[in-house]
Amino acid sequence: MSAGITVDGLTKRYGPVTAVDRLTFEVEPGVVTGFLGPNGAGKTTTLRMVLGLVTPTGGRALIDGRRYGDLDQPRRVVGAVLEATGFHPGRRGRDHLRIIADAAGLPRPRIEEVLDRVGLTDAADRRVGGYSLGMRQRLGLAGALLGDPRVLVLDEPANGLDPVGMVDLRDLLRGLAAEGRTVLMSSHMLSEVAQTVDKVVIVAAGRLRYAGPLTELTGAHGETLEAAFLRLTSDPGSDSDTGPDSATDATASSAHH
Amino acid sequence: MNSLIKTEVLKLRTIRSPWLLLLAAPLLVTAGISGMVLSGNKPLDAAAQSGALAHVGLTSLFTMVFGILAVAGEYRHRTITDTYLTTPSRGRVISAKLLVYAAFAMLSGLVSSLVGLGVAAAWWSDKGVSFAWGDTAMWTTIGGGIVWNAAFAAIGVGVGALVRSLVGAIAVSLAWVALVEGIVGQLIGGLARWLPFNAGQALGAGTGSMTTSHLLPRWDGGLVLALYTLAFAALALTTSMRRDVS
Repeated sequence: MSAGITVDGLTKRYGPVTAVDRLTFEVEPGVVTGFLGPNGAGKTTTLRMVLGLVTPTGGRALIDGRRYGDLDQPRRVVGAVLEATGFHPGRRGRDHLRIIADAAGLPRPRIEEVLDRVGLTDAADRRVGGYSLGMRQRLGLAGALLGDPRVLVLDEPANGLDPVGMVDLRDLLRGLAAEGRTVLMSSHMLSEVAQTVDKVVIVAAGRLRYAGPLTELTGAHGETLEAAFLRLTSDPGSDSDTGPDSATDATASSAHH
Repeated sequence: MNSLIKTEVLKLRTIRSPWLLLLAAPLLVTAGISGMVLSGNKPLDAAAQSGALAHVGLTSLFTMVFGILAVAGEYRHRTITDTYLTTPSRGRVISAKLLVYAAFAMLSGLVSSLVGLGVAAAWWSDKGVSFAWGDTAMWTTIGGGIVWNAAFAAIGVGVGALVRSLVGAIAVSLAWVALVEGIVGQLIGGLARWLPFNAGQALGAGTGSMTTSHLLPRWDGGLVLALYTLAFAALALTTSMRRDVS
């Protein structure tokens, strides 16, 4: 499949703990796919394996049929937003994007286009330390869009967005999918997800619980997404909020594992 | 590789903290030389000139912390994620950092030397002593100090890549210099001169006026320091390849 994401038997163990357990699913172009699961379900670890940041213990993750590290120009194929805090507080927003553009060999004028697309042009010359969480999310999104990628991977992109930002994000992601791109986003906000995604992948305790269209999940039982989510993930084996997803402040970055 | 080097320079140019750190180096040299002259317990002879300019080498402590910022600073602010997403071949990223940080540390050493020479010459003239500009030992001390600056920046890149925690890396490296090489070094006697900071002192501390412990001969110290630099650079490269970024 071209420009999709293939996760095939993907496994990650940290010592005795299995964070991701033989996960297999496909993410197709042209739709928005939600990646859902309780804290500690292995969502962030899975996304990081897809992006070549974490080495799988077993299985593989392919983008456009290749491992991330084997892509010739990864920024032109995949855009990723992983965490709201991935910026130097003393650096200006525009400079953050210049660094990505220069390292990836992308044209500088593209920076103005993505700043405009995420609505951050006015704040681009301010230092990131003064940004709100929502502005950081927008800057992260701008960085992901810089290479005009066919695949987007977003980890909790709705965190910290106000209602307007939320609507903007929904329109943006649906627009990108309508252009034929592959969009995979993890989120905790189920009501927001229900309005944004076409397909869902649900994991709990590192294992796949559901992968398929949203309408099939909720339609079959006449449930809300929330009820279906709780039914699929309320398993004695699934743990609470001790996983990699729970780290939210910058200082906790090296605290887990 | 060229674009990665330019990117590392751009990363440095767009923040302020590394420059404040490097700015501290000529200030320390100025304070050190002034203190030495004002304490007035040594004649301002050729040995004193070398002793004064040996402060250039001591600023390696600053360039080491500067080097630590290269990788550990990226982990601190989680920009390492974007860096590796753009350039999945991590070895090239680390190589570019080693080159760029060593080069800027060398420039910092050069600035410290010029400031040190100016300050020393001014003090000498103030005390009515003529400054011997042609003194070979002084120039060798300066050259050794500049190389020591560059080597410690590269070692700092390695320490930062190994430890990854910014605070941890700075604490470990400064504790190493002060406690292990300074105090434990006196207990293990002759072995201490083979340790990195003492090897740097042998290369850049002139006539040994900065230290009480026995140092290696200058060029042996340089060779030992070069081996440490290569070892830390190799460690930085190999550990960065495999580690998970989470």
